[in-house]
Amino acid sequence: MSEDRLWKFRRPEWLNSVWARNAGVYAAGGLFSLAFYILLDSAVWSKSALNGSSIHITFVDWLPFIFSSLGMLIINSVEKARLSADSFSYSGSGVAWKARVVLFLGFAALAGGMAGGVTVFVLRFVVPGVPFPAMTMGVENVVANGLVGLSQNMEDEYSYNLAL
Amino acid sequence: MPTAGLKTIIALSFVLAVGFLLVILSCALWHSYYPLLVVATYVLAPVPNWICSHCANPDDFVESSGAAVLDLGRFCTGFLVVMGIALPVLLAHSNLITIPAMVMSVIGGLLIYGTIISFTMFFQEEQEF
Repeated sequence: MSEDRLWKFRRPEWLNSVWARNAGVYAAGGLFSLAFYILLDSAVWSKSALNGSSIHITFVDWLPFIFSSLGMLIINSVEKARLSADSFSYSGSGVAWKARVVLFLGFAALAGGMAGGVTVFVLRFVVPGVPFPAMTMGVENVVANGLVGLSQNMEDEYSYNLAL
Repeated sequence: MPTAGLKTIIALSFVLAVGFLLVILSCALWHSYYPLLVVATYVLAPVPNWICSHCANPDDFVESSGAAVLDLGRFCTGFLVVMGIALPVLLAHSNLITIPAMVMSVIGGLLIYGTIISFTMFFQEEQEF
């Protein structure tokens, strides 16, 4: 078992326990909630009296978050055990291939959401040179999409280590 | 031990009352009743976990679809718990409630949720059997 290991440092044993997995799932939900409320905060703040500028949050600002949430949903709906299922006899007709395609679409949506967050931030806030209290809305957009991606990674760590 | 159970119940209800007092005070002192949403959030927080634990099939080790439902419940619970903290911070950032109201409602919400969690932890065995 130890001959085919690549890295010098092994993962600690407690990371494989059920307890650590449950804590990871709770933390993923928390991070997703944090992302959603950071974005909602920017939207509420743009409507409040504190926002002196003429920049407001529109549907375009929500679009990257919608895409990364959709990607997260797709990735978590795929049964990870099917990724290496082609060698088994009961799973004919290329289940692993389908799983890889759907998983690829999910990751593409997730990465597209993160890239879209940066795009909205650059095009709407950096290029026109928005002063700082309004700039917060753009920063919050980027942070929210990053948090969605982060929660995805935390939740998947365990199942990939089982599957691959 | 009925006496220990009684003391636990009294202590928990006292903490719950203090939590509600803090949240309602944070609403009433500044005449803006948004922090009451925190109470609704924390009361709703254990519900997805509870529903999904009843939906799941614990004997299903092969397909692990029961574990997926459990994970969904945990995800929603984590979402709602962080929402209980994030909602007052959001309201305070947009000047809908004041900063002291935010602090009071966060502390009150955590007390309420802690009461619910410790109540289910203390009295789980009596429910199960």
